[in-house]
Amino acid sequence: MTTPRGPQPFSGQEKRLRLLAFVRQDSVVRVDKRVEDTAMVWPHLLVIEFIAAMLWFIGLFIISAAFNAPLQDHSTPDCTPNPSKAPWYLLNLQELLLHMDKGLAGVIVPTVWIVFMMAIPYIDRSREGVGIYFTSPNGKRIAYFAAAYATALTFSLILLDKLLKDHGYIQFASDNFPGGKQLFPDYIIPITTMIVLSAALVLLVKIIFHGNTREWMIAVWTGFVCVYLVLTIVGTSMRGPGMDMYAPWALPSTHQCFAP
Amino acid sequence: MLELPAEMWRRVKSGPLWKSLFRHGYPDSRKNQSLAVFTNVFLHLHPVKVRRHALAIPYTWCMGGLSFFLFLVLTLTGTLLMFYYRPTTDLAYADIKDLETVVVFGQILRNMHRWAGHGMVITVFLHMVRVFYTGSYKPPREFNWVVGTLLFVLTLVLSYTGYLLPWDQLAFWAVTVGYNIAQAAPFVGNEFAFVLFGGFQLGANALLRFYVLHVVALPLATGFLIAIHFWRIRKDGGISGPL
Repeated sequence: MTTPRGPQPFSGQEKRLRLLAFVRQDSVVRVDKRVEDTAMVWPHLLVIEFIAAMLWFIGLFIISAAFNAPLQDHSTPDCTPNPSKAPWYLLNLQELLLHMDKGLAGVIVPTVWIVFMMAIPYIDRSREGVGIYFTSPNGKRIAYFAAAYATALTFSLILLDKLLKDHGYIQFASDNFPGGKQLFPDYIIPITTMIVLSAALVLLVKIIFHGNTREWMIAVWTGFVCVYLVLTIVGTSMRGPGMDMYAPWALPSTHQCFAP
Repeated sequence: MLELPAEMWRRVKSGPLWKSLFRHGYPDSRKNQSLAVFTNVFLHLHPVKVRRHALAIPYTWCMGGLSFFLFLVLTLTGTLLMFYYRPTTDLAYADIKDLETVVVFGQILRNMHRWAGHGMVITVFLHMVRVFYTGSYKPPREFNWVVGTLLFVLTLVLSYTGYLLPWDQLAFWAVTVGYNIAQAAPFVGNEFAFVLFGGFQLGANALLRFYVLHVVALPLATGFLIAIHFWRIRKDGGISGPL
């Protein structure tokens, strides 16, 4: 039996080498960090963090000194305020409730959106434009376009829904639509509208701006942000008693105790 | 005249107590600046160096850091509020009233907790918007984006569960809207609402459940995810920047 040439592994080394093989080369994140491009965290980053935290704290303190947290009367299940509103950050969902089925607006749509949000990085895989706002000038134009598209359409749809309902749409749907006032008005029309308008936005971005995956993702995201904001604003400042629509400057005060 | 305090200060700094606390000199050299960051439990979340790009305020607007800062403010003010608050239907409202009228600085304590809660919803949302528009979710940061999305949802739920606790008309009816939405969930709506609210209508069980969720379960879950979030920032190559 011949002895192999070269340095021999000492006892136990072979085992360790084998363990190292588990750490695959591509699992190590390569960081492109050149020396001249870096700054010491102490003091350069810490001073920014400290000042930001202090300014924020002072701002919070001033706001807290100036404005008291709301506190109404003791809760009374027999006394319903009109309108009863959710906290402002959920008023977008409450606004959506007025235009479709409760379960669809309050549970399914947000769940689908959250799952979609989590899936974004697994759909848009390219590393192009990391660290640059909107990736490119084209991306910025797309964001503006999507913002205008989503804001205008959401407002229009809310107004259209109000207009139709004012003109006896529910009664008409009950009498003429298959499934009565539920199937089409509560499910099929809203679902179709949401899917078709989102798909149309992606299509428009692809046709007009020749958008790639990152760019149509910017359009969809911007669309979501605008819809979210429009629904929040309408829900907060344009819904009065009975969740009827009012101009923000003509919004009646809430009836604190509404006898049904 | 200043020789005595200077001598005392020198002795303190060369004494065993000081040396057991700080294992580096004044951070005016690269070595001590590095040691100051990675030998400090609070600062070691940071790397020793960052890219200059990451320091630009218009890049991040400090929104992630400020969200965490507000989380800390909320933890502190929330803990103080817990000393005065009892989550039962006969006492909750009176305790909030007492906070406003009897407890010294109670009103401002409650105000800070309330406005910081609203503020955190805004900063987390803006942080997400920034991360999206700068493409910072892209590989290798995909998973951290998922964690961030969950943190956004947790922030909303934390804020929502806290909304019920004053047990006033505003709280009761705002949460009733949520109850009706939960009930409308397909297939399991009633069961889901029953488990979350502890009954078929808003009452003592709902208040207790929301309290426990608000002060124990959700902050723990949020803290757990924040730890993962921060750890992943480091492991994924630090704050994003142009390639």
